[in-house]
Amino acid sequence: MSETQLVNITIDGKQISVPKGMNIIEAARLVGVEIPHYCYHPHLSVAGNCRMCQVRIEGQPKLNIACNTGAADGMVIKTQEAAPEVAEAQRATLEFLLINHPLDCTVCDQAGHCKLQDYYYDYNAKASRFIENKVRKVKAEVLGPEIIYDGERCIVCTRCVRFCDEITETSELGVFNRGDHAVIGVSEGQALDNPLAGSVVDLCPVGALTHRRWRFNTRIWYTDQQQSVCGGCSTGCNAQVNLRDGKVVQVKARLNAEVNQEWMCDEGRYGFERFQPESRLQSPQIWQGKEYAPIKLEDALNATQKLVGAGSTGAMLLSPFLTLEETWIALEYATKVMGLDAKSDQTENIQVAVQLVQRPLTKVEAVLISPDYAPNARAFNLLGHALAGNDWRATIQKNYEALLQRVRSGQIKKLFIVGDYALRAVDLDPQLRSALQALECFVATSAAGLDCEGPQNFAQVVLPGRTINEKGGVLVNKDLRLQRLNVLLQAPAGTYPEWSLIKRMAVAAKQPIVGEQVNDERALFREMVVKREIFKGLSLMKIGESGLSLAELQKLASESGTVVANA
Amino acid sequence: MSKQHKKILTNNIDFADQHQLAAYESRGGYQAARKALKMEPDAIIAEVKASGLRGRGGAGFPTGVKWGFVPKNTGKPIYLLNNADESEPGTFKDRVLMERDPHLCLEGMIIAAKALGAHWSAIYIRGEYAYPATRIQQAIDQCYAKGYLGKGIFGTDFQLDIVMHRGAGAYICGEETGLIESLEGKKGQPRIKPPFPAVFGLYGCPTVVNNTETLATLPWIIENGAAEYIKFGTEKSPGTKLTSASGHINKPGVYEIELGYPVMDFINNECGGIRGGRNLKGLIVGGSSVAVLRGDELPPLNMSYESMAEAGTALGSGGFMVMDDTVDMVEACLNLQHFYSHESCGQCTPCREGAHWVEKIVHRIHAGQGTAADLPLIEDVCTQIAGHTICPFGDALVVPVRSFIEKYGEEFQNRIDSAIVSQIGGVSVGNAR
Amino acid sequence: MSGSTEKMELNINLTAAAEKRLQELVKRYPSAKSAVMPALSLAQEELGWVTDQAVAWVSNRLNLPRSHVREVATFYTMYYKKPVGKYHIQICRTLSCYLCGAQELSKYLRQRFRLTPGEISSDGMWSWEEVECLGSCGTAPMAEINDCYFEKLTSDALGQLLDRIEREQPDLRYSTIVGALGGGLKGHPKSEVWTRDEGL
Repeated sequence: MSETQLVNITIDGKQISVPKGMNIIEAARLVGVEIPHYCYHPHLSVAGNCRMCQVRIEGQPKLNIACNTGAADGMVIKTQEAAPEVAEAQRATLEFLLINHPLDCTVCDQAGHCKLQDYYYDYNAKASRFIENKVRKVKAEVLGPEIIYDGERCIVCTRCVRFCDEITETSELGVFNRGDHAVIGVSEGQALDNPLAGSVVDLCPVGALTHRRWRFNTRIWYTDQQQSVCGGCSTGCNAQVNLRDGKVVQVKARLNAEVNQEWMCDEGRYGFERFQPESRLQSPQIWQGKEYAPIKLEDALNATQKLVGAGSTGAMLLSPFLTLEETWIALEYATKVMGLDAKSDQTENIQVAVQLVQRPLTKVEAVLISPDYAPNARAFNLLGHALAGNDWRATIQKNYEALLQRVRSGQIKKLFIVGDYALRAVDLDPQLRSALQALECFVATSAAGLDCEGPQNFAQVVLPGRTINEKGGVLVNKDLRLQRLNVLLQAPAGTYPEWSLIKRMAVAAKQPIVGEQVNDERALFREMVVKREIFKGLSLMKIGESGLSLAELQKLASESGTVVANA
Repeated sequence: MSKQHKKILTNNIDFADQHQLAAYESRGGYQAARKALKMEPDAIIAEVKASGLRGRGGAGFPTGVKWGFVPKNTGKPIYLLNNADESEPGTFKDRVLMERDPHLCLEGMIIAAKALGAHWSAIYIRGEYAYPATRIQQAIDQCYAKGYLGKGIFGTDFQLDIVMHRGAGAYICGEETGLIESLEGKKGQPRIKPPFPAVFGLYGCPTVVNNTETLATLPWIIENGAAEYIKFGTEKSPGTKLTSASGHINKPGVYEIELGYPVMDFINNECGGIRGGRNLKGLIVGGSSVAVLRGDELPPLNMSYESMAEAGTALGSGGFMVMDDTVDMVEACLNLQHFYSHESCGQCTPCREGAHWVEKIVHRIHAGQGTAADLPLIEDVCTQIAGHTICPFGDALVVPVRSFIEKYGEEFQNRIDSAIVSQIGGVSVGNAR
Repeated sequence: MSGSTEKMELNINLTAAAEKRLQELVKRYPSAKSAVMPALSLAQEELGWVTDQAVAWVSNRLNLPRSHVREVATFYTMYYKKPVGKYHIQICRTLSCYLCGAQELSKYLRQRFRLTPGEISSDGMWSWEEVECLGSCGTAPMAEINDCYFEKLTSDALGQLLDRIEREQPDLRYSTIVGALGGGLKGHPKSEVWTRDEGL
């Protein structure tokens, strides 16, 4: 295709150069003007039915809808900021939307994050002039296992219908009836049950579509809202997690054109807490022949030195749920303290591997979900390991299986397992299990307690770790994109993030990897950046809330003269 | 006394067998089509442009100009659609053409298809017109049997298929993009524009939608030439038009008149005057989507696009509805607003919500529960509907209420005043819910 | 109103004639999806109204999502979403018919049948409703019964008409399978829009 042509347009008196054909709503954002809208969505087809985004374009006889207008050279646009008739049209659109809208705010989950409320205050804020009877429609109609619909609140913007038609291509939803009887629904004998169904709630600008499982659970203004990334697979969907009293009470997808548009799968959205084990390990444990006994951390660290301390060789198995920084410090420990070869791709000689198990996907799941359960396996690649072949998942998985095979066959005598899910239940076949039990040198970190199934049941020393919800740092998704993981849940007392355990283990081995002053995740990040060329110029701010692509990372590194000291 | 109007469309319509192919041909039928198929497409378009023929469905857009918007050489098929969805209240002229001269409709389609380079065409007939549909289907079958449709028609290599498609009850399918959506197998909800049908129409291909009467005029124009056509009518409104007259007149029916004909002559002569010798109170000249005229406004007006536009209304579809002085104008207005509420497709906010709102206010005024805020409110709501919708339906739905209030404001005001008076003292007298 | 979310399989077939006709109709269009409307008419013809199974049938035969078919079925007034009487009387209520006395016809029907629009008589024979402009303004007031127009009515004329229909049980339907109108009421004109008392 030919290069994108740039055109000059004026929006509210501000001149700007944008690609020809750029959507005016997007162009306006570039000059800091928000054109209010409902039916428009950057990742769905244009519907043009809400009429909220009307603007005045010089030379046109009527107001135009910005969502269906592409930038053309010389276009002069006036939004509500500069044209009273546009403001009046928006006021009227809101008035129209509100005349039949039920007075549900007091019982509607959308209150506080509702685009009808928000725009009313910004663009209308006048008393209603409607004194007729409102149209009555179905309320609290179950559309599927997760979704419930209120026809009276619905503004028929058709975002949900377009999502099911264009993104999941499952077409469960339709707009039935004509005129002001129009309602959204499913056809008889069908349900809105595709794997991404919860996304329609994020898309719905009002409280017409809400989550059944979170219905009435809280007011949005009582929640703490944390921006983070889902840990379900290597897609790394951007999410906003709303927490109250330390619990997840709602999850919304965040807009990110490079990762998940504005979608999330139900498994990820509703399953943040599935990474929290039922019982927790809250103190280090040492195997004393017949049972585990709790010991002090200092003693545990000393014990690990005899098993996997300085110059110990053997093997290390990493969890794909560690952060990038944790993966980095674990690899430093593996190579510098344990003396392992982390670069080898030879199956007979694999000493360091990341767990990755592939996952079959249906066509609809594959729209968004990655065929793995590995949110951060690619950190391994980014740090320079397991780079053979074209299919990164296949390579990592092959190495992982090779390492397990070496354990089964007794070739490996010392093993350090870092992080939960480094071994999944499926991997604990009898042969592997007995091989693990027979190991004389076996250390594991784990968030899961002793009565949960996992390597912590067989290790000689178990150190209490944290789940992915309890950590902050960076995750590397399937496209080698860096994204920020933020702490969601408070870890229980007595647990430590894996990186902290490794730091202390290195100190106990008299081969510290990072200095004493590295006490938190930010400091750890800065250490990693200083010590690795590929991260030159990188800071957490630069990753920001939308992440950084590999190309941008490489550009940063090539443009940076000096290493940035402050993250 | 009665003017003898030139018969371009209704010349043979009295013959009981005009719908049969053999009879149609015996009276000169399909000569124009044969001629057109030997012409260059651009020559046909030029002839139609020169005739000044304007769309007879209601918009009155010059047909030749509309045809000129179709891009050639896109590689996509071009479609011609005959809009027989006639649903504008007061209009029943296309029905007559389809029932009594269906071959004339088809011949017009053949000519238009040749001009545009279309090889597949459909006639979209409103679902309630079951009898006209059988006539059209019979005519299509007769044409196929004789090789006048299909591959290589009239001895040329031109191929044309015509399909009869029935609607199922939706006025909005008369809007050209609504018709296209319906024909594609979806709800007949009009599309946002741009893109326009000439470029992106049926199945995303260039498409022209013409009214049945417009297409039925083509055979005569091709046969006799544009120069002959413009001898009738006026400069801006050449030719003749079918007018469907109804209401409080003695002789309701479909009349072909030369454009420019004085309105009062039409009422007194062809329509036979007001029934019962009553007075003419109001006239809707071109279907419910054009402004109503008071009886006293009519004498200077004639049946042409320009005269009606000057009078603040429009010739429209020619749905000529006459109201005598027994009519309660508030009730008549409510009748029409209910139509629009019923037919709103529901896609865009101002129409979906506003159409019913306006109806509800008029209903309340009619029921004796009007308030002083109502008339200004109606005007404000109408201002925010017109020009703000996806399709012209929004512009149409505000016309009756605005024009009725403008022309018969005292009736509305009286209703409101007596409602207010009857509520003084907190006692509401009169119509209970 | 939406359907129940319990899974529902397609469990009907239409007659062989209807299935065959659908295939013929599909061939007429450049895209099979365009046959949704005649397909719904076929189903309604056999089943009496557009049932959920009718939607499932159309969806299955044309390979379309059920929601799309249901959208079409609920958009158009001629697809009945609930059963109607064997003879469904539609009185035009729009302006010209209203001006010429349509309300008298509605009043007559209410009195004769004691039914409101949407109800069916206990013998299943009759139902009625008011509809918008049928394109018969010049012969107002009028009614459409099933697919036939009955024009220039008065209450008396309507009454006599209904008596005849009750006695003779004529076929007043357009059959999409056959592509033609039924025999209609014997001797009654199919259309009166062009009858001229004095000629032109």
